[in-house]
Amino acid sequence: MTMLRVRDLTVRFGGIVALDGVSLDLNRGEILGLIGPNGAGKTTLFNCISGVIRPDHGSIYFEDQSLTYAPPHERARLGVARTFQNLQLWGSMTVEENLIVPMDALGRRNTFSDTLYLPFSGYAERASQERARAILHVLDLDRYARTAAGDLPAGIQRRVEIARALAMRPRLLLLDEPAAGLDAKETARLAGLLHAVRQRFHVSMLLVDHDMSLVMRVCDYVYVLDFGRMLAKGQPSEIRNNPKVIAAYLGEESKNQGGDIHAVAQARNEEPPLLEVKKLAAGYGGLEVIRDVDLEVWPGEVVACIGANGAGKTTTLRAISGMIHARAGHVMFAGQDVTGSTAEHISKLGLVHIPEGRGLFPTMSVEDTLRLVSNTAGQEVDVTPAFQLFPRLRERRRQLVGTLSGGEQQMVALARAILSRPRLVMIDEMSQGLAPTVVRQLFEIIRVFREQGIAVLLVEQFVESALDVADRAYVFEHGTIGLSGPAVELRGDRKLVAGSYLGSAVDATAIATNRNGNGHRPDPALMEIVSVRVPARVKRALELRAETEGRPAGAVVVELLEKVDHQ
Amino acid sequence: MFRLLGALLAFAVLARIPVGFDVGFKFDAALAVIWAFGLLSLVLLTGYVGQISLCQATFAGVGAYTAGMMVSSFHVDYLVAVVAGVVAAAALGVVVGLPALRLRGITLAIVTLGIALVFDRYVFQDHAFEWFTGGTGGWRVSQATMFGLQMDSSAHLMAAYLVLLGLFCVVAVLLVNLHESGAGRRFRAIRDSELAAATMGVDLTRYKLLAFGMSAAIAGLGGSFYPLVAGSVSPQPFWLFTSLQFAAIAVLMGVRYVPAAALGGAFMAFVPDVLTRYGHGAFMGHAYEISYDWFQVAVGVLLIVQLIALPDGVWGDLRRRFRHAWSSVGMVGGRRVKVA
Repeated sequence: MTMLRVRDLTVRFGGIVALDGVSLDLNRGEILGLIGPNGAGKTTLFNCISGVIRPDHGSIYFEDQSLTYAPPHERARLGVARTFQNLQLWGSMTVEENLIVPMDALGRRNTFSDTLYLPFSGYAERASQERARAILHVLDLDRYARTAAGDLPAGIQRRVEIARALAMRPRLLLLDEPAAGLDAKETARLAGLLHAVRQRFHVSMLLVDHDMSLVMRVCDYVYVLDFGRMLAKGQPSEIRNNPKVIAAYLGEESKNQGGDIHAVAQARNEEPPLLEVKKLAAGYGGLEVIRDVDLEVWPGEVVACIGANGAGKTTTLRAISGMIHARAGHVMFAGQDVTGSTAEHISKLGLVHIPEGRGLFPTMSVEDTLRLVSNTAGQEVDVTPAFQLFPRLRERRRQLVGTLSGGEQQMVALARAILSRPRLVMIDEMSQGLAPTVVRQLFEIIRVFREQGIAVLLVEQFVESALDVADRAYVFEHGTIGLSGPAVELRGDRKLVAGSYLGSAVDATAIATNRNGNGHRPDPALMEIVSVRVPARVKRALELRAETEGRPAGAVVVELLEKVDHQ
Repeated sequence: MFRLLGALLAFAVLARIPVGFDVGFKFDAALAVIWAFGLLSLVLLTGYVGQISLCQATFAGVGAYTAGMMVSSFHVDYLVAVVAGVVAAAALGVVVGLPALRLRGITLAIVTLGIALVFDRYVFQDHAFEWFTGGTGGWRVSQATMFGLQMDSSAHLMAAYLVLLGLFCVVAVLLVNLHESGAGRRFRAIRDSELAAATMGVDLTRYKLLAFGMSAAIAGLGGSFYPLVAGSVSPQPFWLFTSLQFAAIAVLMGVRYVPAAALGGAFMAFVPDVLTRYGHGAFMGHAYEISYDWFQVAVGVLLIVQLIALPDGVWGDLRRRFRHAWSSVGMVGGRRVKVA
């Protein structure tokens, strides 16, 4: 019954022990979950099984064959396929081609007969295409078959990664954070998809993910890693109630009551807003992502922007900080009109933007990164306040930023922001890819920012934590602001919870089963393709129609596409 | 089928072009095909597989010297000499490919640059290898025969040109086929993500070495005709700078496209010759002289302009624009929407 047997696996990177005598068993037909806080060694274990790195000690057996020293392509042929956390599709090739490469690797295809187009090569080629189409159909990817994989949005690319792994006819599928960057509704769909995949393709799976709702819903059995050691194993329900796991991974539930509304309300009466955004519109290429965004931030206030993926939160931040041009509307900061100003100019006024992915320099040490701030400010600035705020960074001051864990990197980004003495810090997806305990520490820092009188504009997917720390929040829907108000009120608002996919598992499943309930939500994938493929004449007609009907262009496109599909 | 017809058409047109010009231009035409082979080898290696090499001229040089040695020392048929040249170049290519198993990007570029330098200085120009290089004068190829026919360099230049051009068209079609084939897809998979390719069952060792071997063979095929065309072999055409020029012009013309290699070959052979021939005289009373040096300056300037204006290379971008214009002309509203 045991398909994959891992015994006593130990991996060291220099002085750091990434894995310390880890053992694991995976039975045939099982979906096994592997969870743990950041830096627990999940990805390292994963890389050992797929052969990207070699263990210092220990053994890996797959169907009673030793995999410990087999090169990656050998493991692939034995039936171990994997997906990647940071998408590794072959971007310039079509989705279909992405599937055919691993298929060919299984069969014996000859370079020279392929090049000469000998008849049996053509036959094998057509057979591969048929199979690729069949897999794409199961994963509901048919319409992307001829699109270059790199042009698809991340959510679709994740599904293509699964399709590509399935193309190898694997017996074991290794999934590395398949839910990263997906919202709750998409995660719920992914869970359904994984169950369907197991039935249709008869694969076992090993799943690593941060999203507990996915792991709990999908997995038959769960292993918990912490600091390179196996902390616990058991059924999902046991794990959920295991106090050791809760302490290490989930931390304790926070019951903070949010900001002091009255204080902020008072401040609001006395001062003009620090940041005032009026009727802002912006987009990329032929696509208008946000429109009519009105937003205000008062000094010393924490404001959260929440909403589904692709609702325009990130684009709004980019338009405010001058990274992209506003197409309409105004941005006022500290009493100045900064619409159309360069990003450098805006940052000199005291607005710091920490982008998604943190914008750090991986080969620079922590201390140098922080000192860089003082260089750009023109004089030597003392970096000790940053170390007082983040004692962990003081210990690692000489370490290269790229070798830090995700949470520590985010700390560096925050420390760098605070050293430049900003008046407003905008943070995009601060908690992405981080374990809940780390996220909680970071949210504490946001409170420190507020105490120091620095305003914060947050874009967050962990809605509950964001609303905990924020004074006010804006809810984005389809490129504009749907709801806004004090965070305490929004937390109690059920309409908000249902409408913008806030992540409690029950609501998410309800939305996912009602698949057409939100039919006019523009699928970003479609919009992206349309924006590339549609000739200018059609595009103008679409925009005109959208304008007369007062809806986003994407909604009109989706409606038209649906009509075309029916014919 | 379409590709075959296209290649035949290109052959028919290009074969007629040098007729009626003087020997100098006929020599340029043959040289253009030789350089085009060098660029074609980069289309495979860099355009398809994403590996960097700055020693393609070295492969061509090894092909040239091997062919020269075979003809001068062993008096074999020139066809045999070409085969020997290709095999020697391919063998060297596989050896150069070995470091590429571990290295990538700038480090690989430096290693291949080092190989080019070593061959330029210590093989092609060194006394220790006189058996291979034929000494300071190089090999003189005067009485070469191919298919039993006399192929003397200056008198039968057109015959050599036609053979070269025919071979180029065949290899070009094969390379386009390769791009769409299973092996081509595995090559492109290595280019886009080595990590994913390895975990999806592509044997990196095998396909990287295959790519380097095939690429060197293509460069060597062109190079092995050099003695036939020029009548002798010398180190100068295959020195380090030619390798760098290959890389620069491949990028300039579009490193992913096979026809760009032909374009680049013509550019490399004709422009310097035209410059040295007509690049001097008097303009408004001032005597001016545009020498070969200006060619190198021009390549540099063009490269900068191209990287800004035509990032996918001259051929790649013009092709895209042409297709875009063509599809707009033939567009019936809404048809393409369905594709999406």
